[in-house]
Amino acid sequence: MASSVAVAQPVSEGGFFRRFIDLVPGVLLLVAVGYAGKIIEKSIATYGKAHHLTLPNIEYVLWAIVIGLVIANTVGIPRIFQAGIATYEFWLKAGIVLLGSRFLLGDVAKLGGISLVLVVIEIALSLVFMTWLGRAFGLSPKLTTLLAVGSSICGVSAIIATKGAIDADDEDASYAIAAILSLGAISLFVFPLIGHWLHLNDLSYGLWAGLGIDNTAEVTAAGNLYSDAAGKVAVLAKTARNAMIGFVVLGYAIHWARKEGTKQVGNKAEFLWNKFPKFVLGFLVISAIATAQVFSKDQLGSLANLSRWAFLLTFAGVGLRTNIRELGKQGFRPFVVGAVGEVVIAFLTLGLVFGADKFLR
Amino acid sequence: MSSTNVEIFPKKKSQPVPRFSLDTWAVFLALGLSLLIWAGVIKHVPW
Repeated sequence: MASSVAVAQPVSEGGFFRRFIDLVPGVLLLVAVGYAGKIIEKSIATYGKAHHLTLPNIEYVLWAIVIGLVIANTVGIPRIFQAGIATYEFWLKAGIVLLGSRFLLGDVAKLGGISLVLVVIEIALSLVFMTWLGRAFGLSPKLTTLLAVGSSICGVSAIIATKGAIDADDEDASYAIAAILSLGAISLFVFPLIGHWLHLNDLSYGLWAGLGIDNTAEVTAAGNLYSDAAGKVAVLAKTARNAMIGFVVLGYAIHWARKEGTKQVGNKAEFLWNKFPKFVLGFLVISAIATAQVFSKDQLGSLANLSRWAFLLTFAGVGLRTNIRELGKQGFRPFVVGAVGEVVIAFLTLGLVFGADKFLR
Repeated sequence: MSSTNVEIFPKKKSQPVPRFSLDTWAVFLALGLSLLIWAGVIKHVPW
């Protein structure tokens, strides 16, 4: 698939073992690219120290993304690697669950509670604004719905969940996903620059990135590009946002079923459970276990390092799956609507973070 | 709009719905690794 969007890879024919083998080359490429980023960061630091030079500390996160981008956009990604590269979402979710060990449940309740309030405000305002913007640009109502959900909640996952729930066209979903992914790639680099320019502290920046950037992978990368602490907060805020996906998709499913006179959602609790991202529960479980002091200090260190390794593969995947040429070919109007929406949502969420500042101290 | 250039939903044969989602497998993996670390099977994970 010569595409920037490795969302639903064709499933290989054959049994479980065959499919597992198909993943190996791509996963090894993720490891190689991610580890190369880590080696480059370390080599530059060692060189600077040995020669008494003050060199900028460019984190492995950025190196892994850039190396991936260069490979994907020069030599390209041979088909044999594609299935394995698409597993970066899996590593991301495993990494988030493991990251739960670095939060005490009390911190999750406090910061997650503040995040949740901000998330509800952000989602409500974003959905209203994106719906108005889509109409103003003459986009189809379902494409507008997909873009609104993608920008307000959690990017690709939300779009795919909503596509199924409102029976949207593949083409509309493709445009919405391409727009959200390309804007996510831009946000990944722009958010840290603005954060440094505004001298945001780790907490405020992490919260802003978690609220303002669409895809969880890009949020994690943008947070870690700023600092380790900002990365933690960004993931927590984004997790709170992800937790809302089921409610919003359910709302849209009911709305569209009424509008089109199609079959209504039957068991709403089952619908919510099916759409609920299970890694959010995993994150809370690990956090609760860590809070109960089940793990020793060394064990907590090991869990944190496992989480870093999982994220390392994610960052490599973010670079490797981004094909700049393909992103440039997407529909113009969906991209403009997405871009205008992203800028407005970025300002809006920044305002929310500044407003919540006194509650964060 | 022209036909999509981003092949996200390729036509494929209908397949059985997997018992567990990707999310759930990620949770299983993370919890399994945590258990191995807690049990001392994995002594130390370097970074």
